[in-house]
Amino acid sequence: MQEKLKMLSEQAKAELKEVKDVASLNNFKVKYLGKQGLLTEILRGMRDLPAEQRPVIGALVNQVRQDIENQTAQKQAEFDKMELEKELAKNFIDITEPAKGHEKGALHPLSKVFDLLIDSCVAMGFKVVEGPEVELDYFNFEALNIPKNHPSRDMQDTFFVTDNILLRSQTSSVQARAMQTLKPPFKIISPGRVYRNDSDATHSPVFHQMEGLVIDENISMADLKSMLTVLMRRTFGEQTQIRFRPSFFPFTEPSVEVDVTCPSCHGEGCRLCKGTGFMELLGAGIVNPKVLEENGIDSKKYRGFAFGFGVDRVAMVKNSISDIRSMFKNDIRFLKQMK
Amino acid sequence: MKVTYKWLKDFVDIEDSAEQLAEKLTNAGLEVEELIFQNKHLHHVKVGKIIKIQKHPDADKLQVCQVSLGNEGNVQIITAATNIFEGAVVPVSLPGADLVNGVKIQKSKLRGVESEGMFCSGEELGIDDSYIDGASVNGILILPNDFVLGQNIDEALGLDDVIFDVNITPNRPDCMSVIGIAREVCAIYGKPFKKPDFKYITIAERACDKISVERKSGSCSRYMAAVIKNVKIQKSPDWMRRRLFAVGIKSINNIVDATNYVLIEMGQPLHAFDKSKIEGNTIIVRDAFEGEKISVLNHNTYSLSKSDLVIADKNKALVIAGVIGGTDSCINDNTTSVVIESAVFDLKSVRLTSKKIGVRTDSSARYEKGVYFGSAEQGIKRMLSLVCQLGMGDILSGIVDKFDENPMQRKISCTCKEIDEILGVEIPQEDIKRILNGLGVECQIDNGIINAKVPPYREDLENGYDLSEEIIRIYGYDVYDNVKTRLFEKSTVTEGGLDDKTALERKLKNALVYNGFFEALNYSLCPPDICEKLNIQDNRRFMVKIANPIGEEISCLRTCMAHSLLSNVAYNFSVGNKLVDLFDAGRTYAPNSLPLTDLPAESNWISLISTTKDFAEFKACVLAAVEESGLKYHLVRSAQPFLHPGVSADIVDENGKVYASFGQIHPVVAKNYGVPKSCMYGQINLDELLPFKDKTFVVKPVSKFPIVERDLAVVVKEEISNADLMAAIKSACGKIFYDVNLFDIYRSQALGEGYKSMAYNIKLSDDKTLTDEEVTDVMAKVLKALKFRYGATLR
Repeated sequence: MQEKLKMLSEQAKAELKEVKDVASLNNFKVKYLGKQGLLTEILRGMRDLPAEQRPVIGALVNQVRQDIENQTAQKQAEFDKMELEKELAKNFIDITEPAKGHEKGALHPLSKVFDLLIDSCVAMGFKVVEGPEVELDYFNFEALNIPKNHPSRDMQDTFFVTDNILLRSQTSSVQARAMQTLKPPFKIISPGRVYRNDSDATHSPVFHQMEGLVIDENISMADLKSMLTVLMRRTFGEQTQIRFRPSFFPFTEPSVEVDVTCPSCHGEGCRLCKGTGFMELLGAGIVNPKVLEENGIDSKKYRGFAFGFGVDRVAMVKNSISDIRSMFKNDIRFLKQMK
Repeated sequence: MKVTYKWLKDFVDIEDSAEQLAEKLTNAGLEVEELIFQNKHLHHVKVGKIIKIQKHPDADKLQVCQVSLGNEGNVQIITAATNIFEGAVVPVSLPGADLVNGVKIQKSKLRGVESEGMFCSGEELGIDDSYIDGASVNGILILPNDFVLGQNIDEALGLDDVIFDVNITPNRPDCMSVIGIAREVCAIYGKPFKKPDFKYITIAERACDKISVERKSGSCSRYMAAVIKNVKIQKSPDWMRRRLFAVGIKSINNIVDATNYVLIEMGQPLHAFDKSKIEGNTIIVRDAFEGEKISVLNHNTYSLSKSDLVIADKNKALVIAGVIGGTDSCINDNTTSVVIESAVFDLKSVRLTSKKIGVRTDSSARYEKGVYFGSAEQGIKRMLSLVCQLGMGDILSGIVDKFDENPMQRKISCTCKEIDEILGVEIPQEDIKRILNGLGVECQIDNGIINAKVPPYREDLENGYDLSEEIIRIYGYDVYDNVKTRLFEKSTVTEGGLDDKTALERKLKNALVYNGFFEALNYSLCPPDICEKLNIQDNRRFMVKIANPIGEEISCLRTCMAHSLLSNVAYNFSVGNKLVDLFDAGRTYAPNSLPLTDLPAESNWISLISTTKDFAEFKACVLAAVEESGLKYHLVRSAQPFLHPGVSADIVDENGKVYASFGQIHPVVAKNYGVPKSCMYGQINLDELLPFKDKTFVVKPVSKFPIVERDLAVVVKEEISNADLMAAIKSACGKIFYDVNLFDIYRSQALGEGYKSMAYNIKLSDDKTLTDEEVTDVMAKVLKALKFRYGATLR
């Protein structure tokens, strides 16, 4: 009996090796493990055995069955895996097909730069304040120490609607409005659209500025330097440096031009910066005490700094755009590059 | 403002090169925009003498010249020039020369004969007759015989100066002069200022006996007049003509040149009258009469008004004060007696007149920036010293001088601490003192208190802030290169944040970007005819117009956003871009009245346009944006005149207030703009959405009981809307309603013309398990309601 079982086990093992598909595996199962199978047949023969041998042979039969079952299961798992792989291999799609109607658009380069500048300033404690684009002469000029018929009006060509109403030529107009309505200390920025009677490859009659104004008790040129350094680093990268040069604006005293290291060569000198290593980017300074007084702020107690710059130019520099007019053409081929 | 290196050296010793000086001036706030070397194109050009002229053996029009360059040897030059002769002294450009007109000289053979250079005309040297006689002739410049042969031409002609073109900011009228810039140079280098020569000799006769001055206008605060007789009108000396040439002023005659010389050197405009033309020997400074006419030196005649200031005699205006002189009284070759005017006119008056008549002169440019009281005296004295030095005539004693009060010297008192606090850096007291004194601001510092006396020519200095700027610009802004203050080290912490509009605008813009739209950027300016093109007949026709536009295309402020995006689509089509999805964030401007008496109402909008989407797709995009706000809305048909009346909608609230409009563009408008008829346009009023900027949510617990679904298809007439049917279903379901969705629309001949089948999936839910009976009951109610209200039949 034992001999027989051993032979059966070995025969099954050898036969299982030859099983190559699910159908023959099923046949194999029936042949050995089925109700009419070879193992069952041996079990049936146990009746003829002496009683004391039955448990021993019984255990042996069970073990052989267990072995065959394990091996069959293993074979089955192999076949399942092969089947799955075959199935997966059949399901093949072109991953490069477009998803129609689900392509993303993009913001305009100007908006992207505005968002970056605004978020940087907001993080430094600035509030965003907007003002009207059609503005009173008073807020655009007079409240900023630029009286009527003063030569400093020649610094910008203004569009007028009436003698006293104009299209603002600078976002500085919002400075005056803010000083008249907000209680110091405060920090504001004013992004927006400005207008000048000027049009060529580097000048657009409509362009954009961002103005900043800080009014507090202990404000100095050194604060202006550190604040603008942070802003320009966030805009052009961590290695960015700034430098001051003397200048003149009627509403600041002292007034400076702020140069920023060229974002292309980082100060080494290249074609973009005409070899100087720097780009002239902002105008800034300490708020002229006359302007504080005109707008109802006690210049004995408070001091401030202000800065302003053309944002279109920043967007152009950051995105290598050479003609400002292309920013306003809205050619899809231009806009798609901002994706 | 142009000054020359040598002219500056009259007033201050400069050791630095012109380039070094230019950099220092720029760093001190006098930006040198251009540094022009007069001799840039004069190298390899020398003085030569033609010794012998022979005909060219093979060319009729050419001559072969032997030219002596003195110690430099001889050269052979072939020329076609006809005004040369043996013995003529001429400029010779030799191989290596690079002339101002771009001609580069090299040895060459002309018809087989070698030529080692070229003779030059005045033009090729960049000069004309006002610089040296003969320079304007059409031919070779014949030089005086006493020129040294072989000498470099720039030295020989005195063309070896360097011109600084300095950008003078409006706060520094005092720097519109050589002495003004020289004073800055003194401050920069800590050098003393060498005063100009004011000495002159007079004759016994008194000026006040020959001329009288009446000041009848408040626009003239000082008028000085000097008289010179026995004047000989002639050419100015070379040195004066050269300096005037260098700064771009044409030489006229000795008197006029001297007035211009003083203008440039001292910054004081002067005017010279032919005294014989002043009727009644009286100069009257007065406002012009309305319509008064005057012919002036630019050959034009102007009609003046009361706001213009003139210098007149008893009968007529002679000069438009501070702007330009009249032809009648100007200096001419026969003039023998001259009156010199040196005056201070009101800057606003000169500026207004100059702008109005469109005449800008060296004189008006200075007056409109401000000439200080003491300048008139300095200017006229400098003039008289030149008259004396150059023997132009006999100066009568005394200067007629009519003036308002002499302004008081301004004093500024502030502390060193204040200066340091403004600048945020510490400037040593001795530097403060040195810098201010160097700038002519006499200053004492006691116990940290600065007491400063402002020189009369610095009317811009009023307070400690002004002084701090003077100090830092000379001390050097490079001090900040090493300042590393912590961000807002000593100031109050403030709360930053976006304004509501910017915050909401960003959300809507992002919603559109994720729906495939690209952001456009448009001028808010437009042509005057947009409302006609947009089929608009309401108040939006009234647009704000610019008084001084660049062109009609951008002469008005838009009252509707549609024009911009429609133009963008038209442009994109014209360049072959057919698939266009754009949005634009911007403002419209609605005047309260025209002409404007107050500011127009500015509204913020987001507009969008698409050539790729149908109505339903486009609607989804508009709603995706609007739903970034918390507005509770529904749709009604739109009456926007630029939209197709049948294929457009307004987004309204329960009161019918319109927040947005969208739909297919009106076919007439599409044609006007040249965009496809199927184009979809929408506009969202951002300002109206602001009250709903915060989207709030009240979340109900999810029911534990299963949702029951039923499908229902009904046949209705075409005009019955989906929204109506859905609302009826919802109301019929009552409290167990959960959701309803249209999943199919079907039209066929079997249903009949004008009918459609609408299939809905209805979801019901309750806080218990719904029984079959309840569900059947509700569905029967739904069908009944649809039948009753909309004539629907079950399909």
